[in-house]
Amino acid sequence: MRHYEIVLLVHPDQSDQVPGMIERYGATIEKANGIVHRSEDLGRRQLAFPISKIHKAHYILFNVEVEQDVLDELESAFRFNDAVIRTMVIRRKGVITGNSLLYEEELRDKEKDRERDRLAGKSSEKKTDGEKAKEESTSDQSESKAEESDEAQESDESKEGDGGSE
Amino acid sequence: MSKDSKNTNSGDPEIDYKNLDKLRQYIGETGKILPGRISGASANQQRRITTEIKRARYLALLPYTDQHR
Repeated sequence: MRHYEIVLLVHPDQSDQVPGMIERYGATIEKANGIVHRSEDLGRRQLAFPISKIHKAHYILFNVEVEQDVLDELESAFRFNDAVIRTMVIRRKGVITGNSLLYEEELRDKEKDRERDRLAGKSSEKKTDGEKAKEESTSDQSESKAEESDEAQESDESKEGDGGSE
Repeated sequence: MSKDSKNTNSGDPEIDYKNLDKLRQYIGETGKILPGRISGASANQQRRITTEIKRARYLALLPYTDQHR
């Protein structure tokens, strides 16, 4: 058996399916006597560039030890899963465990979100106490005049579907 | 004494497509991979950096260029 690292990009609209997918693919691996060394839900991330007009995607990371035929099966499963927009499978030399850097990042983000929620909850309570907080939200509308550089980026991508479409 | 190539051959775990902060040091403003003579990485490191940057690009973790719409 060989070690592989699998990354999946899932369509953000299908984000809620992700925990199910992790479980399902993990189950198929373990059923075939494979080993899942690491499986991470990296959350929804901003893409560095749009992929088929999508700007965000949900990332999943697996580190597994499986036979070739099981990997083939998985790859075809990914291909037929419409929620999966991109996959990458690379070979690794050994067992990789422990949180990946991207997962650490995701955990930090989640922690921040929780912190913000807590603070937001507290501040709203204070407001109900009648504390007139200095809410002089300095609305600095510093209108940095974005000089309209003549970027005539006319992306004429109008797909002219010639031929009788009807 | 030969170079400790075997030691480094197993790979610097720092150089990984998931280590975006590290890889960003090796791409220019336009998103291009910096040549080894500028980045100062050894040939071995530079080779690994390039493959890892390309992996990160495929997964849309890093840009190919700054002209993505």
